[in-house]
Amino acid sequence: MTGLFPGFLILSAGLFSVGAVGVLVRRNPLVVFMSIELMLNAANLALITFARYTQTMAGQVFALFVIAVAASEVVVGLALITGVYRSGRRLDLDELSEMSE
Amino acid sequence: MTVIFGIAAVLAFLGALGVVLSQRTLYSALSLVLNMVSLAVLFLLLDAQFLAAVQIIVYAGAVMVLFVFIIALLSPGAEERVRPLELRMLLGGVAAVVFTVVIGRLTLNGITVGPGGRFHGGIGPFAPTVVNAHGQVQTVGEQLFTTYLLPFEVTSLLLLVAAVGAVYLSKRRRLVA
Repeated sequence: MTGLFPGFLILSAGLFSVGAVGVLVRRNPLVVFMSIELMLNAANLALITFARYTQTMAGQVFALFVIAVAASEVVVGLALITGVYRSGRRLDLDELSEMSE
Repeated sequence: MTVIFGIAAVLAFLGALGVVLSQRTLYSALSLVLNMVSLAVLFLLLDAQFLAAVQIIVYAGAVMVLFVFIIALLSPGAEERVRPLELRMLLGGVAAVVFTVVIGRLTLNGITVGPGGRFHGGIGPFAPTVVNAHGQVQTVGEQLFTTYLLPFEVTSLLLLVAAVGAVYLSKRRRLVA
């Protein structure tokens, strides 16, 4: 078991990278939100791996907080997406750029 | 143990790739479910039974149901054409490899290899045998309500703010053009 710690960490890095690239590359805001979930999950995996490695509880408790933050983030984000959709605009992040102007 | 880790890791990674590469939003959501269930298996391998259960209930249950519900609600016009060989996808693949190498190298610095090639970090009081004898959920709960009481209460405040914000945002009102 203990020999697998590097595997867990490399997997966590890989999942985080795929999620980050998803945020950067995709234009559908729903997929972008799912990629953010992917990144948070990868961070959770690293946290729990280190909690097991150092035999402390801090990582597990912190992962619990991350899950709570992710849940509330999804709720607010999806409410925003439905608001944008209801205002008649296309759900495309390249076109939803007027906020920056 | 290694076999289970291998299977779960491959499934988790395939799920992650499916989220980013799927043509349809619904397939992305289903890939995310696969990723999350595989991660729950990995949490079990790391002696975090409580978090594995929370992962299934909160993520694969609540969050993904919300996602699928919103996708079903918005589906017309929400589709996006993704060609895997598009330039941004190729650049994204290169960036993913570079990110993985950098982040993996940096996190591996947190692990020290002792003599004989064994990883030894276990200095804390919560060895898996101790925790499992006491009860995994009990241990997490005790920590949550003693050492981490303040963050726990702040989390409840966060959830309250998120609920109020979601209600306010989805309230039907005249939108400024």
